[in-house]
Amino acid sequence: MDKAMSNKGVIMLYIFPALFLLLALIYIPIVQTGYFGLMKWNGMGSKEFIGLTNYSRLVQDSLFWSSAYHSFLLALFSVLSLVGYLMISVVLAGKIKGADILRKIYLIPMLLASVAIAQLWMKIYHPTNGILNSMLMSIGIEEPPMWLADPNLALFAIFIPIIWQYAGFYILIYYAALKNIPESLIEAARIDGATAWDIAWKIKIPLIMNVIKVTIVLAVVGSLKYFDLIYIMTNGGPNGASEVMASYMYGHAFRGFDFGYASAIGFFLLVICLVITWIIRKATAVKEEIQY
Amino acid sequence: MRKEIVENHEPAAPPTQPVKKKQVRKNEVRSSNGFGYKIGLALIYLLLGVVAVFQIFPLVWLFLFSLKNNQEVFELSPFAIPTNPKWENYVNVWTEGNISQYFLNSVLYTASSVILTVILASMVTFAITRMKWRLSSLVLGLFMVGLMIPIHSTLIPLFSTFSSLGLIDHPLSLILTYTAFNLPITIMILFGFYQVLPREVEEAAIMDGASIHRIFFQVTLPMTAPVMATAAIINMIYNWNEFVFVNTFISSDNFKTLTVGIQNFIGQYMTDWGAIGATLMISIIPILLAFLFLSNRIVEGISAGSVKG
Amino acid sequence: MGKKAHTLLVAMLAVFMVVMAGCSSSNEATGDSGSNGEKTIKFMHLWPTGSAKQHNLITSDIIAEFEEENPGIKVETEVLENEQYKNKIKVLSSSNDLPDVGVTWAAGYLQPFVEGELFAPLDEVLNDGLQDSFVAGTTEAYAINDQTYGLPLELNIAPVYYNKAIFEEYGLEVPETYEEFQEIVKTLTDNGVAPIALGNKDRWTGSLWYMYFADRFGGPEVLTSAINREGTFEDPALVSAAEEIQKLVDNNAFNRGFNGLSNDEGKSEFMNGKAAMYMMGTWELPNYTTNEDVPQEFRDSIGFFKFPTVEGGKGDVDSFVGGPGVGLFVAENSDVQEESKAFVKFFVEKWGERAVTEAGVIPATKVDTASVDLPDMYIDILNELNNASNLTLFADVQMSATVAETHLNLIQSLFGKEVTPEDFAKQHEDALSRE
Repeated sequence: MDKAMSNKGVIMLYIFPALFLLLALIYIPIVQTGYFGLMKWNGMGSKEFIGLTNYSRLVQDSLFWSSAYHSFLLALFSVLSLVGYLMISVVLAGKIKGADILRKIYLIPMLLASVAIAQLWMKIYHPTNGILNSMLMSIGIEEPPMWLADPNLALFAIFIPIIWQYAGFYILIYYAALKNIPESLIEAARIDGATAWDIAWKIKIPLIMNVIKVTIVLAVVGSLKYFDLIYIMTNGGPNGASEVMASYMYGHAFRGFDFGYASAIGFFLLVICLVITWIIRKATAVKEEIQY
Repeated sequence: MRKEIVENHEPAAPPTQPVKKKQVRKNEVRSSNGFGYKIGLALIYLLLGVVAVFQIFPLVWLFLFSLKNNQEVFELSPFAIPTNPKWENYVNVWTEGNISQYFLNSVLYTASSVILTVILASMVTFAITRMKWRLSSLVLGLFMVGLMIPIHSTLIPLFSTFSSLGLIDHPLSLILTYTAFNLPITIMILFGFYQVLPREVEEAAIMDGASIHRIFFQVTLPMTAPVMATAAIINMIYNWNEFVFVNTFISSDNFKTLTVGIQNFIGQYMTDWGAIGATLMISIIPILLAFLFLSNRIVEGISAGSVKG
Repeated sequence: MGKKAHTLLVAMLAVFMVVMAGCSSSNEATGDSGSNGEKTIKFMHLWPTGSAKQHNLITSDIIAEFEEENPGIKVETEVLENEQYKNKIKVLSSSNDLPDVGVTWAAGYLQPFVEGELFAPLDEVLNDGLQDSFVAGTTEAYAINDQTYGLPLELNIAPVYYNKAIFEEYGLEVPETYEEFQEIVKTLTDNGVAPIALGNKDRWTGSLWYMYFADRFGGPEVLTSAINREGTFEDPALVSAAEEIQKLVDNNAFNRGFNGLSNDEGKSEFMNGKAAMYMMGTWELPNYTTNEDVPQEFRDSIGFFKFPTVEGGKGDVDSFVGGPGVGLFVAENSDVQEESKAFVKFFVEKWGERAVTEAGVIPATKVDTASVDLPDMYIDILNELNNASNLTLFADVQMSATVAETHLNLIQSLFGKEVTPEDFAKQHEDALSRE
């Protein structure tokens, strides 16, 4: 059996097509991005090699660090939101009436293109006739917040649609994972007198721990390189209050004609993601040892 | 790590047969004297209902949005029904440009890259979690790095790659790019499931002398149908709504996708929001249907899998 | 086992081949038929059929005409919306793969393309007598080191539009001086009407207001010379202009939450009659004249006035913020450069008259107001253009891309009162001197 399962030819055959695409279409760009990061280049004409100048500029660039801080905050909130999604999924995957239709409804926003979501939330946050402020004014608040226009609120106001946008994504994954748990395990626990709460905490969640870890990595990496709604809804503003790393990079590459620096940001973003993923994996691995 | 989990299952694995009676009794006890339980259930439903309303209202909003003109989009409250619904937005969208061609292209690109991605990713995950070789964790790591690169820093390198391959303005550039960019996330999702998937069936099949390909195609793939459906849904949504790569790699109108239909109505000085709403509504229908279909597979697949298991 | 692996591999290859074949066969249908001696000009523009129907129509007509007059030359178009267009041009220029003819913007946007030797000089086209048909000063915005790299298609100025109905209701008159303007703002806010519609998320919208103050305080040269480094951004006039912006903000002159609203959202405050004034380029004119989607009553109630003068300021009332909008370029490495130049020339010649009558675009070429039938507002604007003492090109277009980003962010901070007028000027000065 071991021999069959370590057949080099078969392994090659299974790995190669995907690996080839990965190397050709993702690693080549990564390497090139790293290379452009060493250049002074406005995206056209000749490049000039300037060594690590772009990177040292990056380290001292306070605007970059504030956008990085915003990205980290987003990652943190995204991970926290997973708790809520997990709870909803546990309830949905339990045997309650209407779970099937509810589950489908919950995933609908995920199908919408970012353009649509952005338009919707801009209508919600509109300072004078938006849904939110109309409600606030109708309960007697005369000067409701200006949400996306307020530098102190813009970042958090925009986190809500971003996190909400991915609700369907995580619920979908958790739901499938929970449904994958053999029915027999849960029945056995029920027979032993475990409550629904116990079953969720002591059986279901530990059993899908691997999936949860994957979603944590996805949430963190996805947040660190997040771009779409920020770009459409606030464009990083007002005055950088909602700038994140990817939108900062985009600004330099496609608005500021500073492709060398933008590439350095892109490459640095990759390094940050790698380090954080490594930390997450280490941290969750330790937990595992305690658990078992 | 893998082994531990499997071992962890086993002690918990139940004596399956002689339980039914006990279970019925437990249920009765709980439902008869559980007044608090009923309140709790009602609360849960209330909460779930509120969330459901939140999740469905974007679709209602979008529909109303698609019936407005620019004036009404900004002037009326988002849920106001326009006095003169602008059904002509839909007519406008259908007759403007090449929409049926875009539609076909969207379906073609999305379907081929979803199938390609899910199969390739399953093969990789199978090889990583089921087969024994030294570099498996390195390869997994390589794929994970693929998650971390922001697409805007790949545009220029990818363009020159495809340009040198002569694939610019060729649908293959999109299908391959979508596949490559979705492989990492698909593998990650599959990976979480493969790790907890019981191995007994596969091991039994090996004992019976089945070849690896047989095991993969006839045992593992059917067992993972639910997670493949999950991954397919996610892939499908990403590919369907993607436009940055389309705009960058494709220049012929014949090869563009539905997202172009949206941009058609964005102008330098004027944007026709109602028409954008109508295009979005039209483009959500096929993906909604595919989603409902695949989403049923998640449950069906499980019951099929558990019968076998 | 090994055999089966091979079968699988062969099967996958077969699928791949089928896909390839399928794709390439559909490719043939559209591929350029360069084999029979025909030449193809690739033309990229940003007028999609949906949002710029008239522009698109005129463009296709001109192309058809050109192809008819020049047998053997085909013009192939690719259309992208503004934002995507700019991104694609960027990617294409990085691999020196620009279309033969495309759309560009003036001054600061143009500079890197010229330095990278991507655009061809068009002086020979202009010297053929074409120069005379342009409004004076328009092609100059496309000139770098005395060579012209783009032929402008549009010319815009930014007047202040106002709602006559609202003005009448509160007994207001068009302001001649800035004091009168301030009075108007006060009357309107006292009556709970938002005086000025502004969507400053897009930032260049607020920049227009700043530019007018700079001009009225310091005269037409002060901002331009600060940008081209003959002067300084810490000129007192430029600081006063910034102070004046913040005074307007303090007096609630702009609609609520303007810094979080897009131009489209800000504009809607004016379009639905909630705000009394709106400053924007003349590309908005169709909304007040010919656009059937806008209620007739509203269109009839809109007028415009010139930004008033400030007391003791050096600027005069006939100086405008504005200038040429998009123009056409020809790629330096084009295989069909001669044909492309001929096409660009042909396009510019045909564009002007039709653009103004059918698409409501004020062209950069001269318009004979006597011979074309135009709404009154157009005639008035064209007359103002003829009498203009000066046109100051939009600041973010004048500046290099990096400085423009700084400028736009600072504008947003200035309006949001997160930066003092002095710091505003100083940070501009720093950014400019770093170039």
